[in-house]
Amino acid sequence: MRRLRLALRLVLAAVFIYAAYTKLRQPWLLFALSIDSYQLLPQWAVLTVARTLPWLELLVGLLLVSGFGLRYVALVTSAQLVIFLAVMLRAYAKGLGIDCGCFGAGEALTYKTLIRDGLLTAGAIVLTVSAFQSQRSSS
Amino acid sequence: MKNILASLLLAAISMAAVVPEATAPGKGVGVATAPLKIDVFSDFQCPSCKASYEETLRPLKSDYVAKGKVYLVHHDFPLQMHAYARQAAAYANAAARVNKYEEVSKELFRQQSVWSANGQIDAVLTGVLKPDELKKVRSLLNDPKILADIEQDLALGNKNNVRQTPTMIVSYKGRSYPVAGKVDYGILSKFLDDLLSK
Repeated sequence: MRRLRLALRLVLAAVFIYAAYTKLRQPWLLFALSIDSYQLLPQWAVLTVARTLPWLELLVGLLLVSGFGLRYVALVTSAQLVIFLAVMLRAYAKGLGIDCGCFGAGEALTYKTLIRDGLLTAGAIVLTVSAFQSQRSSS
Repeated sequence: MKNILASLLLAAISMAAVVPEATAPGKGVGVATAPLKIDVFSDFQCPSCKASYEETLRPLKSDYVAKGKVYLVHHDFPLQMHAYARQAAAYANAAARVNKYEEVSKELFRQQSVWSANGQIDAVLTGVLKPDELKKVRSLLNDPKILADIEQDLALGNKNNVRQTPTMIVSYKGRSYPVAGKVDYGILSKFLDDLLSK
């Protein structure tokens, strides 16, 4: 179980750090346009999310690598991925022809994106449950 | 994992997307030497393209294109799922030959729900084309050059990784930025101003 936790931590960390990197290297307003295309948030919220989300992803990625406060970090990771998945499912169901915005601009939101995000979400939930179980068994 | 790697590669490639080339005459609006170029790939039968045309491109034309800041180029990207999209694109491209691409595009989007229901595209254009222009447009509909223009736009879109409509490719100082879907004009405007300030 420890090896699985380590593998999940590192995979999720790599994905989050890369996601942050791709967003931070492009103009932040381009990411704002990706968020806006989901037609979910008012302009002020779109701009706030575009400014802060990449840094939050970077922080989560680095914390996952370090293993510090794993239970809570895994919980935040799961929460983020559940939200991303829900938002993408909604856009896909509505037939919005948009970019996913996951790793910078230019990646269309398709069923493959949903499968990928679903797998990452499942991995994050397994990590969260495992981290809490491990804490309980050691105390 | 394979999917993740493929997506990461795709995202990296798209940031270095090829800057689109010139298109058929009559489909560009503004000054070709403007600092910013926006290539719009759209489908006349797509509801998001209608919204984008009416709510985003309209103010863009008055605030940026008319002031020489943006050169806007339309590209037809009819999707197979839309039964009359290619025919509508043929009308618009034929209208470009009588310098009425903009007028016909505007009317096709305005009356999208009408012709999308019955395929009667000809009928909705009588208000924007004079009888002789309409006659000329009709005669050009099956012209191989018109069909080739549409194929050229489709090929250009595919080359630039366009997968959905509307997609805008904003080009500035040799870099290109894809923007997919209908977006808020206010945010697009901030993005363009930010690019122009660099």
